[in-house]
Amino acid sequence: MLLNTVVIILMCSGLVLFLATTVGLLRFPDFYSRVHAAGKGDTLSTALLLAGLILYMLRDFNGETLLTAVKLSLIVFFVFIASPTATHAIIDAGYEARVPYWSKTGEKTDAEHSIPDESVEHRENR
Amino acid sequence: MKQLTFIILIVCALLMLKAAADLPDWADPASPASTHLSPDFLEQGYVETATPNIVTVVLADYRSYDTMFEAVVVFAAALIVMVILRHTPRKRGKTILYRPKREGRDTILQGAAQLIIPVMQIFALYVVGHGHYSPGGGFQGGVIFGASFILIALCFNLRFAIQRFREQGVLVCVAGGVLLYAAIGAICQVMGYNFLGYTGLASILGASDVMARSYGILAVEVGVGITVMSVMVSLYYDLASSGDLDEGL
Repeated sequence: MLLNTVVIILMCSGLVLFLATTVGLLRFPDFYSRVHAAGKGDTLSTALLLAGLILYMLRDFNGETLLTAVKLSLIVFFVFIASPTATHAIIDAGYEARVPYWSKTGEKTDAEHSIPDESVEHRENR
Repeated sequence: MKQLTFIILIVCALLMLKAAADLPDWADPASPASTHLSPDFLEQGYVETATPNIVTVVLADYRSYDTMFEAVVVFAAALIVMVILRHTPRKRGKTILYRPKREGRDTILQGAAQLIIPVMQIFALYVVGHGHYSPGGGFQGGVIFGASFILIALCFNLRFAIQRFREQGVLVCVAGGVLLYAAIGAICQVMGYNFLGYTGLASILGASDVMARSYGILAVEVGVGITVMSVMVSLYYDLASSGDLDEGL
């Protein structure tokens, strides 16, 4: 009973976060904040949903359910590593390609670059 | 010329449609394939090859010619991309490349890659080896293994990946996988059976006829896996650097 309650709370919070992710992905104003919403919400809500599933699997504890639970927790582990890394890589690529920032005044400002101009190399006909 | 092509295409399409009218209906239980082939595969597959996964049995045993030439098609794709893109010293490209220099800003990517890539490679070997029992096999495992090398090239840089898996090695693997497949078939033929009739491996491996077919399937899957893996790496090397194999994305 208690276990079921915990599982329901975990899954529901995961679903709410997924909803928040989707809303953020669709409604945020610019590239950076959209990717940030997708990356953060996706990771945590996947982890919460799978944590709920793991607990539910382990309600009758034996070798078979333990194996399934270990597999699920491996998924959590790799999503936890891969998803934020992918988000980081996408945002870094956008920063490098000078995707403009959003600002409250409405005009889109260029990304202020700490990377000097020469770092981007256009090469022709080596 | 263009109209001629168009006319030929229309004639071919009409011929195809005419022929398709004679085919048995979709999923017709009375069609020859459903009355003879499928029941035979399902009933005899495990008895004849000791491999529970019927898909693998059909792919790598009953229809192994088909699979061999699929591997050859993949091989040819890698060669063609190489012929089109790869620069030789005499033929320099005129492509303009957008090449960000990003040394020293990849710590996060590299750390994650170091955690994930070994697991990916072991999982790829598992997928190849477990194709007898579960979905998987040479094509899927090869793709996962190739993706791990592409991940190295993405998270570090192309030069780093090429140092570890050089072009010559990639090409040897591209050809070697297909050759391994064909060699298995040739060994069977030398032993007096049909080309790719894995029963011929029985006396070499010292196993029963049934187990020999299981081992033959595994060897063939490994060949396919090697080819697919190295073809993916080869395509990535050529496309990412547009043929320079020097530095890329």
